[in-house]
Amino acid sequence: MNRRVYLDHNASTPVHPEVLEAMLPYFSERFGNPSSVHGFGREARDGLEGARERVAAFLHAGKEEIVFTSGGTESDNLAIKGVAAARRGGHVITSSIEHHAVLRTCQALEQQGFTVTYLPVDGHGIVDPDDAQRAVQPDTILISVMHANSEVGTVQPIAAIGRIARERGIPFHVDAVQTFGKLPIDLDASGIDLLSFSGHKIYGPKGVAGLYIRKGTRMASVQHGGEHERRRRPGTENVPGIVGLGKAVEVRARDMAAEATRVAGLRDRLWEGLRERVPDVRLNGHPTQRLPGTCSLCFRHVESESIVLGLDLKGVGASAGSACTSGNVEPSYVLVAMGVAVDWAMGAVRCSLGRDTTAEDIDYVIGAVEPLVAKLRSVSAVRA
Amino acid sequence: MRYSQTLIEHFRNPRNAGMMHDPDGVGEAEDRECMDLARVYLRVVAGRVVEARFQTYGCGPTIAASSAGTELISGAELGGVAELSGARVEAALGGLPDDRRHAAEVVSAAIRAAARDALARSHERRSGSV
Repeated sequence: MNRRVYLDHNASTPVHPEVLEAMLPYFSERFGNPSSVHGFGREARDGLEGARERVAAFLHAGKEEIVFTSGGTESDNLAIKGVAAARRGGHVITSSIEHHAVLRTCQALEQQGFTVTYLPVDGHGIVDPDDAQRAVQPDTILISVMHANSEVGTVQPIAAIGRIARERGIPFHVDAVQTFGKLPIDLDASGIDLLSFSGHKIYGPKGVAGLYIRKGTRMASVQHGGEHERRRRPGTENVPGIVGLGKAVEVRARDMAAEATRVAGLRDRLWEGLRERVPDVRLNGHPTQRLPGTCSLCFRHVESESIVLGLDLKGVGASAGSACTSGNVEPSYVLVAMGVAVDWAMGAVRCSLGRDTTAEDIDYVIGAVEPLVAKLRSVSAVRA
Repeated sequence: MRYSQTLIEHFRNPRNAGMMHDPDGVGEAEDRECMDLARVYLRVVAGRVVEARFQTYGCGPTIAASSAGTELISGAELGGVAELSGARVEAALGGLPDDRRHAAEVVSAAIRAAARDALARSHERRSGSV
């Protein structure tokens, strides 16, 4: 029987046992609607508001600045569309390597007459704050730049970009889905007005996330309904999920720093091991300004999905950097934006480590990758 | 698992992988959309394929299809091989998901091209010897 090694924590994480334990009563015993005035409702509301307090404390924000949503995608949509809807038009600045939740929302705004600048990145995937400064126009209404990229893990200089936004009085949105609970975030020092975060990337449940909205940020509703979440996100709250998110944040506040050091060590062990044993492999992203658990690799002249399938058959869950959908393969737009050549980009594989990853797991993966890549290259039609 | 056990077995242990020196026919096919590339070599004796080999760049199903396709045509009459359909390669794999049908198509196209090349060379040799 193969060992099973999960190296896809940037996609999702297992729910932490303490999180699950905190959630369970809210499915059955404390099941009320938090908007109800009776005792059943009050119990649910206590859970909801307790979670809000935990998240707010973690971010050093006010309780009233936290809005719960159904996922990172909704948070990004609410931030961008909410700011845009409060204005009649204007210009948005974002980066070319944002998650689709941001990119496609910006593209949707373009259809409505807004204009958008997509900032380039360098070979490490970093946005140059000077480019952001130069992109600002008199009618710029929003700057949205992610904290760290999910594919390559590069951490952006958000404090420098935030300063530019603040000097010009432009709202600054940060998609922090990959960094919230993994890296420290200082909302004030980074000039952040809106921050998207998610539960299932930090050992919380799926289907729950949030958006920090700095008090005074001019937003309009993009969804209409009841009074929930101060009307900013109407709809009955996912109480068990939100309680889980609150607990996950509490656990992250406790474990985050030590885990980041340990996981970064394993990440580097993986890269060093592969670099020694596998020819024609490169590391994507910034060598140091990178998520602790993210190791994005390109294997030249091997196709991503064949590596991922071969690893899957060895019990290893990793992620393909290029996706074949309906017979059409596109190399990752993130790697393309970073200037990675197609013959490398087609062989991109992301390994994202987490709290359960061990040194033995990493050594097993190195041992599995080496013969797999050699075999795939031996049958390849494009390698001399 | 979204792939058949047969496909997985061919991917794990590809048959007939590697190049062939002095083949009697060579064919190549590329799927420009998915960037897969398959090259097939044939050794032919008395109008039949006695050995087929492949070199393939592509996703797991395309590598498996190359293995299954070259196995399928070993011993087959060249005229039939020149008409090999993608559906036959797919059947030899135990089926493919809709979004991976291209694997059988690109491999069958490379096999047909190799067979046509072998037929053309054979025709040239016969013409040259008259």
